[in-house]
Amino acid sequence: LTWWISPFTDNPFLLRALLAGLLVALSCAIAGTFVVLRGLAFLGDALAHGILPGVAGALLLGAPGLLGAAVGAVAMIAGVNLLTSRSRLSSDSAIGLLFVGMLALGVVIVSQSSSFTGDVVGILFGEILGASWRDLGQQLVALAVIAALARVFARPFLLLSFDPEQADVAGWPSRRYQLVMLVMVAIAVIMSFQTVGTLLVFGMLLAPAGAGALLAHRLSAMMAWAAVIGSVSVYLGLLLSFHLDVAGSASIVVVAVAMFFVIFTGQALLGRPTRRPPRDLPLEPAVAS
Amino acid sequence: MNLRHTLSISLLAGAALVLPACGVTSSTSADSSTSGSKRPQVVVTSPVLGTVVRTVMGDAGDVRVLMPNGSDPHEWSPSARDIQAVLNADLVVENGLGLESGLQDPIKEAKAKGVDVFTVTDHITVRKVKAGEGAEADDPDQAPGADDPHLWMDPLTMKQWVQAFVPALTKAGIEGSANISKVEADLDALNTEVAGILDRVPAERRRLVTGHESLGYLAERYHYQLVGAVVPSLTSQGEPSARELADLTTKIKAAQVPAIFTEIGTPKATAEAIGKDTGTKVVELSTHTLPADGSYRTFMLDIANTIAGALR
Repeated sequence: LTWWISPFTDNPFLLRALLAGLLVALSCAIAGTFVVLRGLAFLGDALAHGILPGVAGALLLGAPGLLGAAVGAVAMIAGVNLLTSRSRLSSDSAIGLLFVGMLALGVVIVSQSSSFTGDVVGILFGEILGASWRDLGQQLVALAVIAALARVFARPFLLLSFDPEQADVAGWPSRRYQLVMLVMVAIAVIMSFQTVGTLLVFGMLLAPAGAGALLAHRLSAMMAWAAVIGSVSVYLGLLLSFHLDVAGSASIVVVAVAMFFVIFTGQALLGRPTRRPPRDLPLEPAVAS
Repeated sequence: MNLRHTLSISLLAGAALVLPACGVTSSTSADSSTSGSKRPQVVVTSPVLGTVVRTVMGDAGDVRVLMPNGSDPHEWSPSARDIQAVLNADLVVENGLGLESGLQDPIKEAKAKGVDVFTVTDHITVRKVKAGEGAEADDPDQAPGADDPHLWMDPLTMKQWVQAFVPALTKAGIEGSANISKVEADLDALNTEVAGILDRVPAERRRLVTGHESLGYLAERYHYQLVGAVVPSLTSQGEPSARELADLTTKIKAAQVPAIFTEIGTPKATAEAIGKDTGTKVVELSTHTLPADGSYRTFMLDIANTIAGALR
């Protein structure tokens, strides 16, 4: 039992890392399920990396990195929206264009400051082992906002995920609610990057929610699975980081992705069709929370 | 190869997107392309070595420093212009022992072209990593017995290569020996000054915890004990594991270390978290960055004063 628990009771920094990771796992379970169902993975990745110029600019000006990240995310979402609505460009081309552009802009800004490199690595890879109580507070607020958004917009988000046309017909304009959904994903990314880095946020958005989509049919059940798998990944990842002496945030992502593939393989071996959520899925009035 | 090493490679791959542009800001003491004169061109990789080379050479030639002051040498990579400068130099001065990992191929090419290359760590008594310094035991480049590249943390080790540098200048056809005896005397005097500052710290408080393993030469010269590092490695690359941080926490508590020194490239939040858990203050130390006046003397005195002030 000590093997499983004492690393966290003996080391306050590891306990804070665990709590921060669990909060990220819960935020990402909610936001990530919609990312997976709605097919927003590329945009999620673009958001995670597109905030770099915002963060770099903010740090260069001495402003809070969080503010810069928010500006970067807004610019990204607005740009993708503008390009897809005003041109015949497909959304993945628009996303790719802005992704590359924002990343390059970030590099240009970073090159203005010679003493910047450490911070950029920090943005990409995070410092989950350095999580402070203040970071935990921020994570908690982010989780509350994300849960509230998912709850308030449960119906349109559900329709948008499974049947966008019906959403339009039912009076939930898919374009508008997609935007709200993106804001929710952006909050998950922005609030988490300082603690755990954009790499871990993105891994936690996709892997647990992807596994959840394999295991369940109903939205709420998918989220529950994603939350469980994400939380277990955080716990096991940190435990591995302690016992095997390996890097923290990377171990968490490795465990999460490994769990996805174990579930995928298990289902394939058992002969259960591993399928994408079909469009004609019988919609239960499941309420996401 | 262990997993952390693998991570630091993937980290480099990620950072590769970011870093090459940094070389654009390289400081240029004299722009060789604008002057048509045939003044000797000496290219030095790091700012700290560069300032000493400048002092030795005086007005005997142009010195170009490749790494921008304030950059992390462990993460730096050269720009196209830096590589051109290396290939066209009369003499290249490098630290060696892997500090300029991004410059290996251009330097090899320059050597093949007949450019003289002076490797500083070939002309000093290289310090070996000792057991219990916290470096990784499973990485041959970091384990006890590995060569420590951070020679500039000790004025007397600097003096060793400065003595060998004058013949190298002469061989490259540069008349740069006028200042040598003064430079050597200054390094001796600096050693006495630094020792005077660091000796003020009581013996039982001479315990160093740093961002990475950068203070080995200083610790050896002035009888300080290396307790550990946030990133237990000779480079600032890589992410510490939970195990390493837990071990560091234990060591800091056991040795009652008064301060944790952070450097360029140190994961700051992690250092703060360890400081909080152990009740230790976190102090920034400029181990790779020249001070405003650009002199090696001020650089070393600042470090000595910061250490003595934090540990006393």
